Amino acid sequence: MDTTSNTPAISISGLEFAYGNRPVLKGIDLEIPRGIAFGVLGANGAGKTTLVRLLIGRLKATAGSVQIFGQQPGPELSSSVGYMPQLNALYEALSVHENLDFFARMLGLSNSEHRAKAVERAMDLVDLSDRAESVMNELSGGMRQRVSLGAALVHEPDLLLLDEPTVGLDPELRATFWQHFKDMTDNGTTILISSHTMDDAAHCDTLGFMRDGKFIATGTPDELRQSTGKPDSNLEDAFLHLSRASA
Amino acid sequence: MMSFDRKLAIATRIAREIRRDRRSLAMIIGAPVIVMSLIGFSFQDQKPVLNQAAPALIATMVMFFVFVLTGISFLRERTQGTLERLLSTAVSRSDLLIGYLAGFLIFALIQSIIILLYTLYVVDVEYSGKIWDIILILLVVTITSVSMGIFVSTFAKNEFQVVQFIPLLLAPQIFLSGVIIPTSQLPGYFQGISGALPLTYANRALRDIMLRGASLSDVSLEIGILALFAIAMLVAAAVTVRKT
Repeated sequence: MDTTSNTPAISISGLEFAYGNRPVLKGIDLEIPRGIAFGVLGANGAGKTTLVRLLIGRLKATAGSVQIFGQQPGPELSSSVGYMPQLNALYEALSVHENLDFFARMLGLSNSEHRAKAVERAMDLVDLSDRAESVMNELSGGMRQRVSLGAALVHEPDLLLLDEPTVGLDPELRATFWQHFKDMTDNGTTILISSHTMDDAAHCDTLGFMRDGKFIATGTPDELRQSTGKPDSNLEDAFLHLSRASA
Repeated sequence: MMSFDRKLAIATRIAREIRRDRRSLAMIIGAPVIVMSLIGFSFQDQKPVLNQAAPALIATMVMFFVFVLTGISFLRERTQGTLERLLSTAVSRSDLLIGYLAGFLIFALIQSIIILLYTLYVVDVEYSGKIWDIILILLVVTITSVSMGIFVSTFAKNEFQVVQFIPLLLAPQIFLSGVIIPTSQLPGYFQGISGALPLTYANRALRDIMLRGASLSDVSLEIGILALFAIAMLVAAAVTVRKT
C-alpha cells in the first residue's frame, strides 16, 4: 500500500448505510487529506459511530464507496490504521503492559523485540510507564482511556480513527490528549475524531458537522464560525445555526 | 491473514484471564466436584445404578460446565467491545476460534479430568477400559461445547440470556441422550431426536468403554459422529464469530 503518495487518507463518495430499513447515513461525500486532524461533530445518533465502523471495515456500505489510502477498508489495512472504540474495550484482568502487548500482537507485531519497543513507546506516549504492571481494574477512568489510546497507536499507524476519545476526561487530560494528537499530525499521521463536544472541535484542523446521517457543513473552525455572519460567534453557535438551517 | 502468533496470543490471554479470576477458577474445579459428590453419594447404596449412570453423567457435566464457561466468556468479549476492537485488526476467524479453543481447552480438560478422576476414585464408580480413551471422548465433547458456547453467545445480549440457553440446549440432551432413561426405551419420535444430539453418542461411547471395556476402534462410529457434531458446531461458530 502506498501511504506516501497524494492519495487522500480517506475518500468517501455517495455513502449510504441502513440498519435494516432504518437509514443511518444518507449520502456522504468527504475527502480527508493526510496529516490533519478531522473532527466529525454531531449530536448523539447523528451517525458518527456508524461512519467510523464503516471506516474500519466492520460495516458494509448500502451504497457508495469508502476508501482509505485508496483501498477498501478491511483487515489488510490494519497495519496502517489504528482504532480507538467508544468503549474502552480492554481486558480487565490484564495489566497495562499485557493489554498493549496483546493488541500489538493482534496488529501483526509478531517479532518480540520490535513489539517490546513499540509497547514501551506507546506506554511512554500515554504516560503510563510507571503503571505498566497495574491491572485495568486498578486504574482510574482517565488512565483506562489512555491505555485504550495506547492500544490504538501501538503499531504507529498512518491513520487513527478515534470514536469519542475524550468522553469523560477531565480538562487537564483532555488537553494532554490533544497535545498527543497535535504531535502526531505534525509527524504526518491523519486523525479522524468523532465527538459531540465543541471543545474538541476547536482543536481540529478541519471539521464536519453531522446531522441526521449527513454532513451539513465542512470547513476549518474559523470558516464554520464565520458562516453565522456574526463576528463573535463560537463553534456551538455555528453548529446550531447550520443545524437549524438544514432542518 | 492467519497467524500462529495471534492464535497463541489469544490462547495465552484467555488462560491468563481465567487463572487470575480466582473465584471462577475455584468454581471451575469446585462446582463439578460438588455436583458429582451429591449424585455419587446419594446413590452409594445402589452401586449398580450409579455405575450405569456415571459415564453419561461425566459427559453431561463436562458439556454443561464447558458450555457455560465459554458462552459467558465469549459474550463478555462481545459486550465489552474487545471483539469489535479485535476485528479491526488483522485477526482472522481461525485465529479467534483456534485461539479460543486452545485457551479454553486447557481449563476444560483440567475440569474434565477432575470430574473423571473424582468420579472414578472418590465416588468410586467401577469402570473398565482405558482412562486415556475416556479422556479422548471427553476432549471431543469439550470441542463441541466450546464451539456451541461461541455460537450461542451470538444470540445472547447478556449473561442472563446465555443461562436461558441451558434449558433449551442442554436439558433435552440430558433427558433424551440416555442419561436418565436408556434411549432404546424412549418413544419412537424421541429416539429420532435422540439420534440428533451429540451427548447421545458421547454417552454411548463412554458406556461401552467404561462398562464393557470397549476399545476406541469399537466405538469409532460414535467418535466419528461426535467429531462431525464438533466440526458442525465449529463451522456454526466460525460463521457467527465476527458478529458483534
